[in-house]
Order: sequence, then C-alpha cells, then structure tokens
Amino acid sequence: MRFSVYQVSRRGGREKNEDRMGYCYTRDAGLFALADGMGGHPEGEVASQLTLQTMALQFQRDAKPGLPDPASYLADAILAAHHQLLRYSADKGLSDTPRSTVVASVIQGNKCFWAHCGDSRLYLIRGGKLVARTRDHSYSELQDALGRTTPSGERFNRNVLFTCLGSPGKPMVDLHGPMVLEQGDRLLLCSDGLWGTVSDDIITEQLAARPITDSVPELVELALRNGGPRCDNVTVIAVEWEGADEAEDSGEDSESLSTQALGDDGFASTIQSANSAERPNELDEAEIERSVREIQDAIQQRAAKQKKS
Amino acid sequence: MSKPKPAPLPAGTVVGGYQIIKRLAAGGFGVVYLAEDPEHHLVALKEYLPSSLAERSPGELTPRVKPEKQPLYRLGLKSFFEEGRSLAQISHPSVVSVLNFLRENETVYMVMNYLQGDTLQDFIVTARDMKRDKVFRESTIRSLFDEILRGLRIVHQHKMLHLDIKPANIFITNDNKAVLLDFGAAREVLSKEGNFIRPMYTPGFAAPEMYRRDGALGPWTDIYAIGACIYACMQGYPPNDAPQRIEKDRLSLSLSRLRNVYSDNLIEVTEWCMSLDPLSRPQSVFALQKELGRETERRYTKLSFSERLKLQLENLKSGAKA
Repeated sequence: MRFSVYQVSRRGGREKNEDRMGYCYTRDAGLFALADGMGGHPEGEVASQLTLQTMALQFQRDAKPGLPDPASYLADAILAAHHQLLRYSADKGLSDTPRSTVVASVIQGNKCFWAHCGDSRLYLIRGGKLVARTRDHSYSELQDALGRTTPSGERFNRNVLFTCLGSPGKPMVDLHGPMVLEQGDRLLLCSDGLWGTVSDDIITEQLAARPITDSVPELVELALRNGGPRCDNVTVIAVEWEGADEAEDSGEDSESLSTQALGDDGFASTIQSANSAERPNELDEAEIERSVREIQDAIQQRAAKQKKS
Repeated sequence: MSKPKPAPLPAGTVVGGYQIIKRLAAGGFGVVYLAEDPEHHLVALKEYLPSSLAERSPGELTPRVKPEKQPLYRLGLKSFFEEGRSLAQISHPSVVSVLNFLRENETVYMVMNYLQGDTLQDFIVTARDMKRDKVFRESTIRSLFDEILRGLRIVHQHKMLHLDIKPANIFITNDNKAVLLDFGAAREVLSKEGNFIRPMYTPGFAAPEMYRRDGALGPWTDIYAIGACIYACMQGYPPNDAPQRIEKDRLSLSLSRLRNVYSDNLIEVTEWCMSLDPLSRPQSVFALQKELGRETERRYTKLSFSERLKLQLENLKSGAKA
C-alpha cells in the first residue's frame, strides 16, 4: 500500500491537550486513529492516550500482516479501549472514569473501514467532493437526523454526547465499510476543535485543493484563529490514498509511505506504547518553586511600573 | 464527607513575615486570614488548603495530604498559581490586587489588599428586605456597573476571563469603590478534573455555555453574568438558571414587572446581556459600557392592560409573588 499521512495536534487556548492521534501499519493494513479526552471527567488526556494504546496493541497483535476481519477488529478494539478505561479507573480508585471519544479507520488492500464513538469525525473526500462523514453521537446531530427543527435561539448542546468510551453504559459504535478507495482519496480524522469552528464545506474545499501537507496545517491554523483565545484542542490526522499496489515506477516520492518495505511481520507505529506514556507528576518541587518566583517577579515588575508612572 | 475540615492557623502565627490576626473566611479552596505585614499594614492572606484534600490538626502548621490525593492537590495548586499569575499582572482599582506570593508550611499563600466593606450580595439582601419598589436606584446601578466594567475590561485585555462574576464576588469598600474578587482561572481547571472542590458555576449567574462540555467561553460569558448581576440589583433576587431558561424562558416576563420602575433602556440592556445565544450578547465589555453610559433621557413604559393580565395569570400559576 502507498499513502501519505500528515498529523498535527495543537493545544489551542486550553490548559492541556487532551487530544491524541496516531497511526500504525503493517505491510498489508494501516490503522489511523484519533481520540479526544473529555472535560468534566478526570484525566482526559489519560483517557485518550489509553484508548489509542489499546487499539494499537490489538492491531499489532491481530494484523499478521493483514487483519482477518477489519470491521470486527475495529469493534473489538474500541470495546477493549472502553474496558481499559474502566479498569484504569477502578485500579486507581477514581470516583469517576476518564472518558474519551474515538474515531479510527483501517485501510487494508484498497478497502477502507471506519468506526467512531462520540463527536470526533472522519471525512472522506474524493475529487473535491465530500463522499462520507461520520454522524456525531451528540444530541444536536440526533435532532438533525430526526428532522426536528429547533429555533436558532434554542440550538444548544452540540457538545453533549450520548455515548463515549468510559461511561457506565456500553458505548455505541458506528461501523462503516468496506468502502473501496480510489487513488487520490483523502481521509481526515479530527477532533471537535476543528469542525466546531470550520465548516464541512471549507474542510472539503481545502482538503481537495492541495496536498494534505499543505491543507491540514492551514485548516488547523484556521480553526485556532476562529476558536479565539480559549480555543479547544485542535487535532487532525489526514491520509492521502495512493493505491494498493506498489507502483515501482512512481519513483521516489519523498512524501508518501510504502508499506512494502516492512516485510511479513514488520510493524511501524507513531502511538506510544503503554510504559513510556505514564507521565510523571507534572508539578514537582522545582516547578512549584519556579512558579512562586515567577509570580513574585510579576508582582515586583508591576509595582516598579506603578512607581514610574 | 464526614472528614473534619483542616484547622485554620491560629491567631498570632507568623507566615513569611505576615502575622495572622484572625480568620476571615474559608472556602473549598482554602482559608483567608486578616493579617498584618511587618509595617503593620493590614492585608488579606489567602492560604491554599483545599478542604477535601488536605488535613491539618489544630496547632499544626503543615497540612498533610494523603498520597492518593496528591495528584489532585497538585492540580489545585497549579490553579492557585494561575490565579496568582493573573492577578499579578493587573493593576486596577476595580480588581483586587496581589501584593505578594509565598511558599511556607509546604503550601502557598497569596497576600492581597485587605478591603473593608461588604459584598454587593450583602447590599442586595439588605435593600430588598426593606421592601421598597426599587432595590437600588437606577443611577446607582449604572455607576456601580460602570466601575465594575472598567475593571473587567482590563481583565479581558489580559486575556483572562473571570467566569464567576456574581454579587458575592463584587465588593463595595467603605470608601465606595467596587472591586472584583475571587479570580479563578483556577476554578475552571479544578472542576474539569472532577468537581471535587466546588461546582464550576453559580446557578443564575452562569451563562448557558458554562454548562456545556467545552462550550466556547469568552468575554460574552462574563457579560452574561454582569447582566444577571444587574438583574439581581433590580429584582433583589438572582434570575432563573440557564438550564431552566432554556426549558422555559421567563426572563422577559419577570423583567416586564420592572417596567416603569427602571428605564426601558436598562431593562433592554439587561436582557441583551442575558441572551441565551452568546452571539446575541454584547461581544465586548466596551460595547456594553457604551450602552450603559448613554445618559439620554430615560423612557419609561407602563405595562399595557394585556401585559398586566398576563403577569397576574403567571402569578396565580406560580402561586407566589416573584
């Protein structure tokens, strides 16, 4: 398989980036995934990280080098991630479980499958047109689907989801595929930080007009600008499909990845494995001292300025 | 939670050169003391001591935090720093100022101006208990909020939001200055990680976007709260909370009771600030200041017969005077 991939995640105006994205592949299959840890619950960034790790681990285990059934892999892996979150919360004795959305796509041969839970989205663009987009598991998109029209003043709660990973009930997962890919197709997975402030039309237009290495950073910048000083985390991973066959004659295209080189049991991943992901307590003694000094400096500077004026 | 609250430091204790005189207030976040600096000036000393995470027996100086509570404790500490950082940059008579920041007793302390006076909340309660038709005079409301908005404008200029503006956080000093208290970029972070210290918002004053997961917060969120404060100054009571309003909005109706008591313009401005849709509100403090400061001839419109009828019906239904 040949494809190019581009991913970027920005913190925006938030304290933390609770979004995670990544991809991994064997010779015959590729997994692209993105998770958005939810605010209002503990450790959102742990939730999204655990979700991706669990999915990547299962991918590595099952793709030998192809997945026997990509659709059931997606369903199982997402459920496994959900259970992982519940286990994590139980192990640490948390009173509430960390929660995350997820959207993931598997490409195998020239077939594409995807699944999602929550409001992280996948867009599939072909020849300048939006061919498919996931429907958010949010009340607002549910309303739209039911054909209810609410007066504009009462449109609220785009952010309230009725399912996600880590919630007490079993998560709802929408599965799609197989969809046969054509050369030049573009897949984009993103968190609500992108689609919340950038319309589907603009996403489609931008993605179609230029290579993903140009359009994706541009879209993310746009979202950050539109989102203003308190902008949500913005995370995007995009894939441009270049074909299932390894075209020997296409020459050295430095931007694209070929899975051929991996051999029968090769595995490449951008998703950190579990042990390296455990981040130490962020605020250690040195950090505390530094913060106190910073604030004292700021107070002194202000006082000095006041004296002058 | 039956865990006893951590004990405050006793009077006389010296913390980083400041001697404690007495405890002024205690909240989820910690304790505020009246203290004296080495030159015998009075200051307010705020100690980081989250009551659900830290323990301290009477007579002890250093709080103890159980290992399993350390991460949350540290997170709260970070928020305390945020508040300190924010306030350190601002110097405005309508914003409480930070004089110093200390690390002592294995926790941290913020030294602030000591203000003498009462909160706007106290004034509202006193005024409404007098049962006059007006809680405050319109000119009082206008000049009070003009002062508050000057401070808030500076806050927004520093790319910060207050996010918990309410009468209890507006202080009126004995020399008649209005000061915004209790800044919490803090609060926001804490409640994001599980609301272990206090709810993230104050019902009635919190804009609808505060209730949503990652609702887009902005100056308009503080402006909603300002509108709700003006409402409380006219009505004597806080408005219905945002979820209730989304369900069934009685704001216009209850504001119509104030017609002929307050000018049409003030009532309209209040309703404008409190639009459920953030985009329909004044988008900046400046826009609101301009409107509030317009001292044109005030128009008062009496209720029409049908409006009075509607109000009476509403009163019958709710079975109470509102």
